[in-house]
Amino acid sequence: MNLFGNAVPWRSIAKEALERTAIVTRFLCLLHVTNTYICTPTLVYGPSMLPTLNLTGDVLLAERVSHRLGKVRPGDVVLVRSPVDPRKSLTKRVVAMGGDKVTFVVDPRNSDRVRTITVPRGHVWIQGDNIYASRDSRQFGAVPYGLVEGKILCRCILMCIVASIVCIKRTPCSPMQVWPLDGFGLLHH
Amino acid sequence: MVVGSLKLWTDLVVEGFQKSLRVGKFLCLLHAIDTYVCTPVLPYGPSMLPTLNSTGDLVLVERVSTWLGKVGRGDMVLLRSSEDPRKTLIKRIVGVEGDTVTYLVDPKYSDASRTCVVPWGNVWVQGDYIYNSRDSRTFGAVSYGLVEGKLFWRQIWPLKSFGSLHGKAKEDS
Repeated sequence: MNLFGNAVPWRSIAKEALERTAIVTRFLCLLHVTNTYICTPTLVYGPSMLPTLNLTGDVLLAERVSHRLGKVRPGDVVLVRSPVDPRKSLTKRVVAMGGDKVTFVVDPRNSDRVRTITVPRGHVWIQGDNIYASRDSRQFGAVPYGLVEGKILCRCILMCIVASIVCIKRTPCSPMQVWPLDGFGLLHH
Repeated sequence: MVVGSLKLWTDLVVEGFQKSLRVGKFLCLLHAIDTYVCTPVLPYGPSMLPTLNSTGDLVLVERVSTWLGKVGRGDMVLLRSSEDPRKTLIKRIVGVEGDTVTYLVDPKYSDASRTCVVPWGNVWVQGDYIYNSRDSRTFGAVSYGLVEGKLFWRQIWPLKSFGSLHGKAKEDS
């Protein structure tokens, strides 16, 4: 206070700034914990889940409780970390659990060939709803259950409208890519 | 008379709540450190001999390297089992994506070896004691997403050597 003159109360400003930062940090921590352990919004895009989900982006609510309790069943749409690129997350539908037999069309665009496989224990078989344009278990095999990160609950329609206004860059691509919105509201890989 | 004791009760309840809130906050902090920074693990099993003992070891696993992708060949890692998602294993990374791995299929009974290429996004893990280890030779390459942490401190102390010296002479046989 002596160095910078008597007018500006540096110490109390610093103290107040620290307090405000602490409040913001606590809020972000709470948001992060909610996103990781309870539920989180995710932005998904791509053609592999047509017609269920849009090509150019949907905001979905993913809950993160069921997969820890083992309550993932065939028919659920799940958020899965990609087994071939650990920085990406995919949104696909669970078709079969470990121990089940799954019959699938290998390459529906080019042939009618069908294969039947038994899903290994501890794995799940995921497929996109749009089998013509989806990279899923038919290409990279059954996915270990440990890679399942959440179950999609519902679509936030209002957020979809907001997202379509705010997010301009969207290139349709397969596999369906998800950019999880973390507590900071940023989109990141 | 009744109002007095009621106030006492509410005071007690409020104080109890505040104390448990502090304990809760401390546990949350512990959990956050456990999940994002470093966690202690008690491994058991013979598959990592002689590096880790069958029982009685305590190791520290740090979780920062996996996020940054700085896990490579030769690292001992904690990974979630691809066969049973409720189990976690400790193995050593022998090959990363793109590597060609040559391994002994069943060294207890034969000398047969096989070679394969580790697919993208996966790692090849093996236990140090290949004669008694269920690893990638059995269940194949493991997705990198299942790798949860890297061991950085192999032994804090072997717990079985803790205790009175009275029985120690018998143990050292």
